[in-house]
This record gives sequence, structure tokens and C-alpha cells, in this order.
Amino acid sequence: MNRVGNVMWWRMAWRNLWRNRRRTLLTASALSFGFVASVVMIAFMDGMMEELISNGTRVVTGQVQIHAPDYRPERNIHDTMGGREGVDVGALVAAVEGQAGVAGAAPRLYGGGLVSSGDETVGAVLMGMVASREEAVSRFGHAMVAGRMPGPGEIVVGDAMAETVAVDVGDEVVLVAPAADGSIGNDLFTVSGIFHVGVGGFDDSYALLDMGSLHELMAMSAGRIHEVAVSVERIRDADAVAARVAEAVEEISPGLLTESWSVLQPQLHYVTSMARAMNGIVALMIFGMAIFGVANTMLLATFERRREFAVARALGTSGGAVGRIVVYEGLLLGLVSLGAGGLVAGPILVYLHGNPIDLSSFVGTYSFVGSAVRPLLTVAFSWQGPLASAVALVGTGVVSALIPAWRAVRVPPADSLAAR
Amino acid sequence: MPEYAVRTEDLWKIYPQEPHPVEAVRGVGLDVHAGEFVAMAGPSGSGKTTVLNLLGGLTRPTRGKVWIRDSELSGLPDKELAAVRLAHIGFVFQSYNLLPVLTALENAEFTLLLQGVPARERRERVRRLFREIGLEGLEDRKPPKLSGGQQQRVAVARAVLGNPALVLADEPTANLDSTTAEALLDVMEQLNREKGTTFVFSTHDPRVMERAGRLIRLVDGRIEGTSSGAGW
Repeated sequence: MNRVGNVMWWRMAWRNLWRNRRRTLLTASALSFGFVASVVMIAFMDGMMEELISNGTRVVTGQVQIHAPDYRPERNIHDTMGGREGVDVGALVAAVEGQAGVAGAAPRLYGGGLVSSGDETVGAVLMGMVASREEAVSRFGHAMVAGRMPGPGEIVVGDAMAETVAVDVGDEVVLVAPAADGSIGNDLFTVSGIFHVGVGGFDDSYALLDMGSLHELMAMSAGRIHEVAVSVERIRDADAVAARVAEAVEEISPGLLTESWSVLQPQLHYVTSMARAMNGIVALMIFGMAIFGVANTMLLATFERRREFAVARALGTSGGAVGRIVVYEGLLLGLVSLGAGGLVAGPILVYLHGNPIDLSSFVGTYSFVGSAVRPLLTVAFSWQGPLASAVALVGTGVVSALIPAWRAVRVPPADSLAAR
Repeated sequence: MPEYAVRTEDLWKIYPQEPHPVEAVRGVGLDVHAGEFVAMAGPSGSGKTTVLNLLGGLTRPTRGKVWIRDSELSGLPDKELAAVRLAHIGFVFQSYNLLPVLTALENAEFTLLLQGVPARERRERVRRLFREIGLEGLEDRKPPKLSGGQQQRVAVARAVLGNPALVLADEPTANLDSTTAEALLDVMEQLNREKGTTFVFSTHDPRVMERAGRLIRLVDGRIEGTSSGAGW
């Protein structure tokens, strides 16, 4: 068919669509509703997953981490970056923070030790850090329920640990930890603060110390660190940021390993991947159901127009062109529905983004795959959800038109003209 | 040797119905020369419309052959049949059968558009013919806004604008009042005379029979007789 003819088929399809305005509006409304439902549902799911990832990564891990290649998973205290020589921590952190998408970077040193007070002793993960840098990476600084972040000679513990060893801000604790030189380091630290992040595994076992203090306790030089934790501006960009950071780090200290949260927290990654797959399945179900309804309506409309198809065939229109008119109608119906659905879905998403639905009356905060989940239904903006829903919607219109188009192609001209 | 617009040989159409198949057309042999103005008359059920459908390739014969100029239709696949219809045949139906979503002008230019005639030429040809057949000023009206006679004239315009070898008209005056019917026949007669367009009608209408150059009488699917019409 020539281009002019094609324009005519589009024109006929558009006008046919509006011949029965009420029926078209009802069908388009159903499709639009499906689109809105799909977009909002995916946005809710994305919101939940972002919350899950955010909470799971912002407590301590960050979205990207840099380690010595052998550090994980054993986390041996000797596997510091740059080996025994260490690295230029300042230069490394500056290089990381210079990358696009990086919100902050925090160097860390880890050790294992015992925290004792009076008769009580508890095992702890000792985390040496720079308090000012943790502000942008971890949640400890924002989760202080008493006191403040530690300075030299000070320690901050989780509220569960504080309860176990029965200490409060201002009390002293004894810290015993194996040092890098094979000795056992021990010293007295003053509790400067108590945190509560709400996730099991941190509140009862993490103890925060000033980086210099932990270096001293573990008999390590200042350039030795185990980790640089990095926070990113947008979690969904973590993999891309990790790639950029890896390149930058390679120039400063070759051989280090840079990984994003999806590698560092495989369980969390698995859950979020499953949720995304579920999004697809639910969208498929919504539009799958719509296909049958729309196809039924279009089939009815096609049947009513058998005589017109027969006339077009009698005048020399090919079967393909007749079928194309019906498919174009389905496509245009999808696009009209998409426009209407977009006009409705947009404001709903904007509203819900600013006004998350509070479910605290029904459910409290809970911990899931190492992440604290607040009882808030919030939406996340992404182009993938609306795009996938839009493609599904327009695809629904087209697929729904296929059987009616096939029927239109097979209209026998003589019988239809005689209304047999 | 005369040029045929359409020719048939032992044409049969049998509908396989229970308990007895219906023989709608029985061994029709027909030659229509280019430029003829032929009417087929006969009682209801005599097979007039079926013969027209067979001549136009809208249905396939059970037996026999149909030639439009040099193309034999019975063996052609659907796509080629459509191409033959587009190139050589125009249709005028009893109930007009204009496409309701198109304007009068768009309906009339439909076959030209399928033939790939450029827009400017299409519009020019339609407007010229509309002037000739009294449809000027109605170009942008859609069928529901046209009278029966106007719709049928648009249908005639649609049928003849593509310069077909043959126009098949199935009781074109059946739904028209006598004045409108006469006017329509004037238009078709004029097109036949001035442009040499071949017309084959099926009709009950004595006015059509009177104007026909040749009258073919069909009874029970057979040609019972042929006579020179009273027409010009």
C-alpha cells in the first residue's frame, strides 16, 4: 500500500474509533484504569524496594564498598587495603568522592573484641571510623538515642549491647581485641553515646570507635583500613557508580575490589529482583485480563462493520489493508487510553510521593533481610514502571485487535453484502 | 473481433445447503462488449445478484469461467482478485454502501487512492465529476447527511472514477424515488455515452430496462432470453 493509502487507513481507524463514542470511552477507561493500577502498583513496589535497599544499605554498608580483594568473606584483620603498607586514605577517599553520583565516602577499620563492664562481657564488632564522614554514609550518627559519636578514647554501643553490659553514657568499658602484631590489645574507653538503628545484628553487636583509637588498640598504622563505604545519590545508579569508582580507585591503589550493594547483600538483591519480576507478572495479569475484554468489544464492533469491510474488499482493498485498519484502531485505542491514564496516574504518583500512606496503625517497623522496613507505603519515581506499563497498554490494544482484524480480513464480500 | 468487458462460460453457482443444494446460477454464458449498457431482469431469487457477484469476482463460481477483459477470474487468488477489481471493476450497490466515516469526496476518491493516484489529481477528478453529476458543494458531507439519491450518485462516482472496464450495479434505483432514480439513470447513461463506461445492471425497475441497450432475462438461475432494449 502506498503512503497515501496508509494515511487513509489511519484516518479511517481514528474515525471508526469515535463512531460509538460511549463504547470507546468505556473501553479506553478500562484500559486507562489498568494502566493507572499497574503504574501505581509498580511505584508502590519500587518504593518499598527502595526503602528496603535504602535501609539495608544506609545503616552501615553503603551502596558501594571498596576492599582488599581477599577481605571478604572471611574479614581477616590482616587483609587491609594495600597490605601492611596501607594506602593513602585521604587520597583514596577524595578520588571516590570526586566521582559523579557519589554522596559520601567513609573509611573504616574493623576488628573483633570483647566489651566488658563490671561482671558483664559481650562480643562485639569493633568499627573504627571517622565520625564526620559517617554522616553521609551510615545511619549511626542519626540513630543516637543518647550522647554523641565517639572521639579519641571513646566508644559508642548499640542500645541492646548497652543493656547487656549495663552501661550508659559516661560509663567506662574495657575493650579487649586481638591486634595485628599478634598481641592482645586492651584499653579503657568511655561510652560517649548509644545508638539504636532498629536492625538486629547492629544494636546488639556493633561498637563504634574513633579510627585512631582502634588503630592504636589493634597495633596498626594509620594507613591501614579494611573498607571504604560509599553512599550514592540514587540507589538505582549504584552499579554504574561502582564502575566509575572502581576506575578511579584503580589509579590510586591498584588491585582493590569495588562492589555494589547487589554483590555485598545478595539476599537483599534477590528479594528486590523477585519483587521486580512480580511487578512484571502482576502487570501481565492486569493487561492479560484487559485483552479479553477489549478483544470482545472490538470483535463486536468488527462484526457490526462486516458490510463495510465487504464494500472495501469489493472496491479492491486488499485483505491486509482491511486488517490493518482494525489493528490501527487497537493501537489508537491504546494510545488514547495511555494519554488518559497518564493524566490520571501522574498526579496520583506526585501526591503519593509527597504523602506516603501511613500504615503504622496496622503494622509496626519490622526487620527484613537485614533491613528495617517502616510501615509507610511510599512510591518511587522511575521511568521503567510507567514505560513497561505503557508498552503493555499499547500492546494490549494491538493484541486485542488481532483476532478482530483476522475476522475482518476473512469477511466474504458477497455474503456480507447480502448480509447472509 | 469485438472487445469484451466481461465474458462468462457455463457459469454455475451452487450453495451447498441441506437437504438439497441450491443452484443459484445454472450454466450462464454471457458476453458483454465494452461500452454496452446492459440490464439483467428477473424475479426475486432468479440469480441476478449472484451473477453480478460472479462477474465482479466477489464470489467464486462452482463451475465455469469468468473473464474480465483478458483476466480469467476463477483461478485467481484473493489478492489478485482484489487487484483485478481495483483495476477493472466498479460497483454500485442497492443500499449505496458508502463508508460512513468518510466524506462524500473521500468515498468517491477511494478507488483512486487505492490505485495510487496523487492527491491533487484525485481531488480534481472528483470535483469535476461531482460538478457533472450535481454533487458540487457536498464534498465534505458524510453519508448520513446526504439524501438517498445523493448517496447513490456518490456511489456511482466512486464506481466510475477509477476508469473501470465494467461497472456492476445491483438494483441501483431500488431505494430511490422516481425523480431521483431518473436523475441517477441520466448520470449513468451520460457516463456510458460520453466516457464509454460499460454498465451491467440487475434490476426490477422498468425505467432501467427501458434505457438498457440490451436486456437479459434471468429465471431460476438461467438466461431465459435476451432482447435489444428500448434504450438509446
